[in-house]
Amino acid sequence: MSEHPLTLLLEFDDQVRRDQHQAPAFLHRRDRKFALDARDGATGPRQWLAHLQHLSGRPPGQTDKRLARWRRISFSFAAAGALLGMLTMLGLLFYDGSGRINITVILAFILLQLLLALATTVQAFVGWRPWGWLVDRYTRRSGEIVSVLTRLHPQLLARAAHTGGLLFGLSGLATLLLLVVMQDLAFGWSTTLSTGADSYHHWMQILACPWQGLWPAAVPNAELVESTRFFRAGSPQPIAAARWGDWWPFVALTWCCYVLLPRLLLVTLAQIHLRWRTRRLLLRHPGLTALRYRMETPMLDTGSIEEATHQSPQLATPADLQPYPDSPAVIRWAGAGDPLLPEDFTATAQRQLLSAGGAASLSDDRRAIQQARGVLAHHPEPAVIVLTRAWEPPTAELEDFLTLARDQWPEATLISLLPLATDPRHRPGETQLAQWLRFAERQADPRLQVSVYELTEAVNRAAEGQL
Amino acid sequence: MTDAPVFAVVGHPNKGKSSVVATLSQNDAIAIALEPGTTRHSQAYPLRIDNEVRYTLVDTPGFQRPRQVLEWLQAHSLSASDRAETVAAFVHQHRDDPRFQDECELLGPLIEGAGIIYVVDGSVPYSAENESEMTILRWTGQPSLALINSIGPDDYSEAWHNALGQFFQVVRKFNAVSAPFNQHLSLLKAFGQLQPAWEAVLDQAVLQLSGQRAQRKEQAARLVATALEDLMAWQEQRTLTASQLAGHSRDSLAEQLRQRWYRHQRQREQALRLAIEQLYQHHRIQRQEAELTWHSEHDLFSDNSRQTWGVSKAYLATAGFGAGAIGGAGLDAITLGASLGTGALIGGLLGAAGSYFYGDRLKLPVLHLGVLRNGLQTARFGPVQDIQFGYVVLGRAVDHWWHVSHRNHAGQDLLDLEPTDRHWLEELASAYRHDIQHALARCRRQRALSSDQRHRLAVAVEAALDTYSQWRQSRG
Repeated sequence: MSEHPLTLLLEFDDQVRRDQHQAPAFLHRRDRKFALDARDGATGPRQWLAHLQHLSGRPPGQTDKRLARWRRISFSFAAAGALLGMLTMLGLLFYDGSGRINITVILAFILLQLLLALATTVQAFVGWRPWGWLVDRYTRRSGEIVSVLTRLHPQLLARAAHTGGLLFGLSGLATLLLLVVMQDLAFGWSTTLSTGADSYHHWMQILACPWQGLWPAAVPNAELVESTRFFRAGSPQPIAAARWGDWWPFVALTWCCYVLLPRLLLVTLAQIHLRWRTRRLLLRHPGLTALRYRMETPMLDTGSIEEATHQSPQLATPADLQPYPDSPAVIRWAGAGDPLLPEDFTATAQRQLLSAGGAASLSDDRRAIQQARGVLAHHPEPAVIVLTRAWEPPTAELEDFLTLARDQWPEATLISLLPLATDPRHRPGETQLAQWLRFAERQADPRLQVSVYELTEAVNRAAEGQL
Repeated sequence: MTDAPVFAVVGHPNKGKSSVVATLSQNDAIAIALEPGTTRHSQAYPLRIDNEVRYTLVDTPGFQRPRQVLEWLQAHSLSASDRAETVAAFVHQHRDDPRFQDECELLGPLIEGAGIIYVVDGSVPYSAENESEMTILRWTGQPSLALINSIGPDDYSEAWHNALGQFFQVVRKFNAVSAPFNQHLSLLKAFGQLQPAWEAVLDQAVLQLSGQRAQRKEQAARLVATALEDLMAWQEQRTLTASQLAGHSRDSLAEQLRQRWYRHQRQREQALRLAIEQLYQHHRIQRQEAELTWHSEHDLFSDNSRQTWGVSKAYLATAGFGAGAIGGAGLDAITLGASLGTGALIGGLLGAAGSYFYGDRLKLPVLHLGVLRNGLQTARFGPVQDIQFGYVVLGRAVDHWWHVSHRNHAGQDLLDLEPTDRHWLEELASAYRHDIQHALARCRRQRALSSDQRHRLAVAVEAALDTYSQWRQSRG
């Protein structure tokens, strides 16, 4: 990965775009892990990108196509600048011996260059893209997706323009020096305005201020100004002809000072501005905020290591409900029928009501089994109803109780489990009944069944009236 | 961290232990309502922060023979001081006894120092049968909390509360299926208060869970924004040779591409659904979604959807004004402000007028045939020209997010996304509306969003999620 902030910004922006379709949990895990593993807290976007590129085996240092395109644009500007600089200087210094090269024209041109350079810089700082539509069209045609680079177009273009301007200045200066050596150039000054030589000399002094101490010979004196003025009509003075060439050091230094130097400074400024803005864009990139958040936020995992049960339980059962028998013994298991016990199960002379399970102790259970045994022993069709709470699932304690009872009671005893609803007058829900049917099925006891108690509508109303 | 607290969720079989664990551990794969007595092993669900266990919830089998256990304990204990040791002795003694496997599994974590979370069903009457269990738990001497989890419609929680208060340090009501998220956090905090050493750990976990919740909302908004972008800009393309083109009438080609376009849009919306569900760790809704009734009745493209989730002309005009003003402001920027904001005003008015007059007209995508080049011609269908389409997608996505984010992991019922009766989006702040409108308009013209625009859209969608939540809350 290149060290240049622009490359960094583009690669970061691309990575954020690639991440857009990744699962958020994955991104969080990946980035948090990177942050935890990072040594010395080096978790900046540069290290992060290097880490990702290293993991994906992407070769480092590949030139971005978009930057290569801008490099080509800069090169085109530079080449065009160099060519135009040479042509412009040839045009400005065109001398066929019949007239003089007007210093005023050269100064005006230098001023224009200066203004153009400043305008380019202002445009880059304001962020104006008057040519944006052209670039957009070009990038769209080349299939380039919108990237953060669009926001740097003003700065990139300013840098390219200043590079072109710098080459323009250099090439112009080289052409000037070459022409000075190879030709006898005749400079003079002329203007339609009613400006006197003194005034012109004063302006020249101001322009030459920067190099006055360094190279005094390049500062035109009053005599030179006075003697090299020319008019449309009238013949040149013989003294002046010898001094026409003395202007060239002034022209060369004015060019250096007001064309080359500003361009050099502005191209450096453009470069600094581009880097500054690139860094700012990276720092304010929404992806960086999200990345930092992912790095700083701990990863929460609430799952189990072991595979949890994914299959729903099999709830169907082939067993059916059976009518409950006329039983001489009724056992209330774990407080079933309390406080409302249906009349069919209350204690009578023919029916004994016993309690087991729940709050009763295990010895109470054994006692209840013994008492029931005594009743069943004299009964021709031994049967026991075990009332249970339909909503309480059958437990192993009931299973133990039934196993013990089966050992104690006559072999032919029919045991009917009868789950009661919270309101015993009503039939329990099917889900509740199903668990009792499945329980009975698991016991594999042919003399064990499940029954249900339900008052009919008319009896129900009567019972409600009694209550 | 070696001293991370462990909480064993214990109780009578089928009283919602697994539901509580499923909700608190955000794991919908925990089988709920298993046949009583068939869960024979404890299952640990640790909460890890950066792979470091902070606390563990242990789902245990229910008590099967509590009275026998209590009888054994009472027979082997001399005084109150040896009770905890006696419970440990019971576990060691019966580790290999299949008759007490359930008890050993549930008491095992307790003798190793786990806190007790005793779960009862508050919708059924209190039973003294539970007292044996509660006594055994008290014998362990571990910090304890009782949860009244109401499974059915009836309420006996008062009686339970009174009874449980005699055995447990803290008694809380908690409905594992319907309790809102802040109650989950409050419950976890209560776990921390059982023992001073646990408080900081649980407080930290609660903080992280709250952060995760906020982060998920933001991530959900990003997912919705990305889907919105994709759906609005989708174009179906097919390249045909001249002979293939001659074999198709324009209508049949348009119909073919239309069907493919519609299929893609539906699949993209489904992909968004799944992504949101996975974000909230709901993995089982995926299977249940095929059975959803809303999908066929309230399809993405149905008029019903449009009626429900589309926005009014006035809304479009306001949002259009903002979006137009953003474009018009460009003119002001070019003139360095010399136009004194006229550009923004004109842009805004044009945007508002355009949205008002064309906003409610159903502009379906149309078929475009490209130029014949090298004997090949490309037929294109889409993107959608109806801006309302974006609002339909947004409305449905936000509604789905709300249901998923408010769904507890113990929930087993079908996800029913019933349409709303009034448009809530009008309560969204105007700046966000403009951002949404601007992004939709840009996508519709197949102009990709920059990172910054994408971020603004996601922020606006997140604000829409908040607005929708508030609106649902205000409806009760």
